[in-house]
Amino acid sequence: MTNDQCPIKTMIKTVNLSKVYRTDEVETTALNNVDIDIKQGEFVSVMGPSGCGKSTLLNVLGMIDSPSSGDYFFNEQEVGKLAERKRSDVRKHNLGFVFQSFNLIDELTVYENVELPMLYTKVPANERKKRVEELLEGMNIMHRKNHFPQQLSGGQQQRVAVARAVVNKPKLILADEPTGNLDSSNGDEVMKILADLNATGTTILMVTHSQYCAEFGNRIIRMLDGQVVAENVVKRYL
Amino acid sequence: MFQNNLKIVWRTLRKNSTYSLINVVGLAIGMAAVLLIYRIVDFELGFNKNFENYDRIVRVVRHDRNAEGENWTTCMPLPAANAVEQAVPQFEEFSRSRDAWPTLTVPDPNGGAPLKKFNQPDDMVSFFVEPAYLKIFKLKLLEGDPNTALRDNGSVILTKKWAEKCFGDAHAAMSQTVIMDNLVTLTVRGVMAEMPANCDFPIGCLISYATLEANSRNYFYGEDNWGACSSNNQAFALLKSADQLTAANEVVRTVGEKEYKMEGGLENEQKVHELQPLSDLHYNAELYNPTGRIVTKNRLRILSFIGLLVLAMACFNFINLSTAQATQRAKEVGVRKTLGVSKGQLIGQFMGETATVTVISVLLGLTLAVLCLPLLKLISDVPADAPFVMLLQTWGFIAAMAVAVTLLAGFYPSIVLAGFDPIEALKTNTMSRLTAGSFLMKKQGLVREGLVVLQFAIASAFIVGTIVTLSQLEYIRQKDLGFDKNLVYSFNFNSDSASMAKMPVLRQQLLQLPAVESVSLCSDQPSSGNTWANNFAFPASGEDAPFNVSLKYADASYQKTYGLRLVAGKWLEPSDTLKEVVVNQTLLRKLGISNPDEVVGQELRIGSRRKVRISGVVEDFHSHSIHQPLEPMLIGSRKIYYNWAGIKIKPDNLAATTAAIQKAYDEVYPEQVFSGSFFDETIAQFYEDEKRFSNTCKGFGLLAVFIACLGLFGLSIHAASRRTKEIGVRKVLGASISSITGLLARDFLKLVLISLVVGFPIAWYFMDKWLADFTFHVDMNWAVFAIAGFAAMAVAFLTISFQSVKAALANPVKSLRSE
Repeated sequence: MTNDQCPIKTMIKTVNLSKVYRTDEVETTALNNVDIDIKQGEFVSVMGPSGCGKSTLLNVLGMIDSPSSGDYFFNEQEVGKLAERKRSDVRKHNLGFVFQSFNLIDELTVYENVELPMLYTKVPANERKKRVEELLEGMNIMHRKNHFPQQLSGGQQQRVAVARAVVNKPKLILADEPTGNLDSSNGDEVMKILADLNATGTTILMVTHSQYCAEFGNRIIRMLDGQVVAENVVKRYL
Repeated sequence: MFQNNLKIVWRTLRKNSTYSLINVVGLAIGMAAVLLIYRIVDFELGFNKNFENYDRIVRVVRHDRNAEGENWTTCMPLPAANAVEQAVPQFEEFSRSRDAWPTLTVPDPNGGAPLKKFNQPDDMVSFFVEPAYLKIFKLKLLEGDPNTALRDNGSVILTKKWAEKCFGDAHAAMSQTVIMDNLVTLTVRGVMAEMPANCDFPIGCLISYATLEANSRNYFYGEDNWGACSSNNQAFALLKSADQLTAANEVVRTVGEKEYKMEGGLENEQKVHELQPLSDLHYNAELYNPTGRIVTKNRLRILSFIGLLVLAMACFNFINLSTAQATQRAKEVGVRKTLGVSKGQLIGQFMGETATVTVISVLLGLTLAVLCLPLLKLISDVPADAPFVMLLQTWGFIAAMAVAVTLLAGFYPSIVLAGFDPIEALKTNTMSRLTAGSFLMKKQGLVREGLVVLQFAIASAFIVGTIVTLSQLEYIRQKDLGFDKNLVYSFNFNSDSASMAKMPVLRQQLLQLPAVESVSLCSDQPSSGNTWANNFAFPASGEDAPFNVSLKYADASYQKTYGLRLVAGKWLEPSDTLKEVVVNQTLLRKLGISNPDEVVGQELRIGSRRKVRISGVVEDFHSHSIHQPLEPMLIGSRKIYYNWAGIKIKPDNLAATTAAIQKAYDEVYPEQVFSGSFFDETIAQFYEDEKRFSNTCKGFGLLAVFIACLGLFGLSIHAASRRTKEIGVRKVLGASISSITGLLARDFLKLVLISLVVGFPIAWYFMDKWLADFTFHVDMNWAVFAIAGFAAMAVAFLTISFQSVKAALANPVKSLRSE
């Protein structure tokens, strides 16, 4: 079977996507006519210096921010101009987020944090329990399930955050510097988890400063001053 | 989801235990206050609703207008009652009624001293009524036939409690004999159940109207003319249907049009009868009510408003502390939003959290309210043992209150929290960024400051209210009323001829007691609730004066006993009949006479015929409460109207003296019931209402100040924690502890100062209105506001300083590191 016979679907497509922040005195262009195309099953890393617009791009693609102009198609549906309620709905069923600072809810245990997204998608209790336990086992933190985030190491917290991101089986995972707060060994571990997820078909878009982490993906988008300035395919030499 | 949210609530509450405690305690106190006020309002609004015919029962009253003003009265001249009964076709039943406060004795069939004797308790009233009265009020008899029980002269219906007191049980009481006021023999023809507590007819017994008619002389009843009238003579009717009130009223207004004119009276006087619905009886302060327990709807509104203010203040604390802590929950909001939660769902979650706190507060508030129920007697008539918690409607109110509090306290913080931008919220250092001064944060800061100002404005208004009411009560206590109210022990007695004949004996015995200085007999003590007004002329040969004069009958010892002061002439000589009078200064002033000596020895005319000589002029004294102005007055001797004895006693061993007085009374009147009291206590009862209002200000003012301080305390903790780094830096740069304390306290004290500017004019407006109700009152000068302002600032400073000093004392190295 070739691509011509069964084309891989485009998951994300942006056309002239721009984001401008305005205050009384200053106008800052965070994204400037960005055109990107990400296919289902890709693992794309976004790199660039601080302030180049990487995180803004991630936020817009993650539908927690809306573009100032341009079009954003998610699974061929224009979502850039959707109302907040609809965007929430698309997000809930399709996306998972992993943050640099983990962003676990301090008042919930490990188990409850991972379970949380399924409460919003109304997954039945039995199924929730099954999925949480599977994931925690897989991430090797089952023994910590009743602990609160503050009681875990950074690596453990990020594994919980990844578990929470994937528990609803999202089509796309958006990761914003997922290893930024981790030492190299824990960072490696998280990257391997992401790579494994990608191997099972989950699309991943990751913002990173680290070339090493970026090369876990199969394509790197480089940004500067709100624009995509280069794209490279990662070559792996066995 | 619910479970998850509940967990979050519980853990958040535990994590922020100080703030949680402030919120829960504040709300619980606010709710307890509202529940107690609800208890009062519900009790008062339920008055008389025990009567099945509540909507159809009316009382015939009269509206009098003349050149001096207007006045409402319940009095029904006898011919007027007959005319109304005849004229109004909308009446199904009609009954005259006359209030009575009888003593009852159970006679010894063998002719000895009475077997039992009872005074009617102060909180009960008996009535002479016609048989229709039972139908109007649909009173059911436990014993006896309602058709005949009140038909004949000498018939009485006792309440069950009285029947049991007199004869052991209700059935045994039937056909037994009791003696009323040691004058009238009554036969028990019926026994009825006790009336409920919230009823303006706390019936002791019902006596047939025929009895009153047959004993008219003893009860000063029977002047068959349109001019004679007493507020105790009333008339009640049952309308055929409730919607006939207007039609019946139109007929009633025409009754007596001609007759009152023919009676004469004051210039331009108009007397028009009206029907007062039973639903108005408990709330209309202008009309007499036998229980004297009138609570205006306005008073209930004010009370409700006070409760709502206190509860609103607690809600403000919740709002302030929730929004102040909002930044701490920004991350949670951000995470939830990225997980796809909508703003509406988040609002729902935060409202749910508020609801949980509210439920905890409700339970605590209810417990507090139940514990405080006995305190209600300090501000109301609500009996401590009346059902409350077990009533379904109480729970309905609690549920409604919980919903209202959840909405009031939770809505704004929920909107604020749910409104966080997830991108901002999830950035590192979000807290410092959000607190640093985004527009949203500034807006919330303004709202918080506004609410603190509002809270302290309310609290300071309460402080002013408390100071003013306490000052006025102290003024009343210390005011020279024109007589000496202390150490006068008094009792009333039957004024029938047999009793009066023995009075000199009693008087002599009392005067022989070493502790008794003087004994005076009179129709009224110097200050009382009674008014006996008459037309008069001065000089005697002239026209009637354009105003009525108030009359008191008293003997020659009255002046000495009550310490009245003469300004001209001399006091009355001993006499049994009216030959001379003493007039007061107000009478002279109203007549335009400035020299009191001028009138001594001259004659004046009372009523249409009786001419009397003026023997002296007495200094003005307050014959009513100081709500009322001084009135022109005549005091003369007239033995047949005496029914009060006042005894001036020495201060040593009051208990022994009063016991000796009762012993002397019982020896002279073994068949009568003694009921004595100190005159100053009787006067204090005039101001029961004011005392209650003062207690209300004091109690709720204390709560208001406490709740406001709770909120301020919470905000000061928040401010101190928010400014930890700043304080550390300042300390490193050499700031003193006092300058840092001042820095933290300054912002809050500024708000309290603004609150005084807001609260004081409001307090001034309301308290000025309250004081205007007294003819004699304290002035609300700057000192009141200075004290209140100082108190508010001092309390606020103490509240803040605890946290400020703690923050200022913290080790800067530690605080900078922890930042």
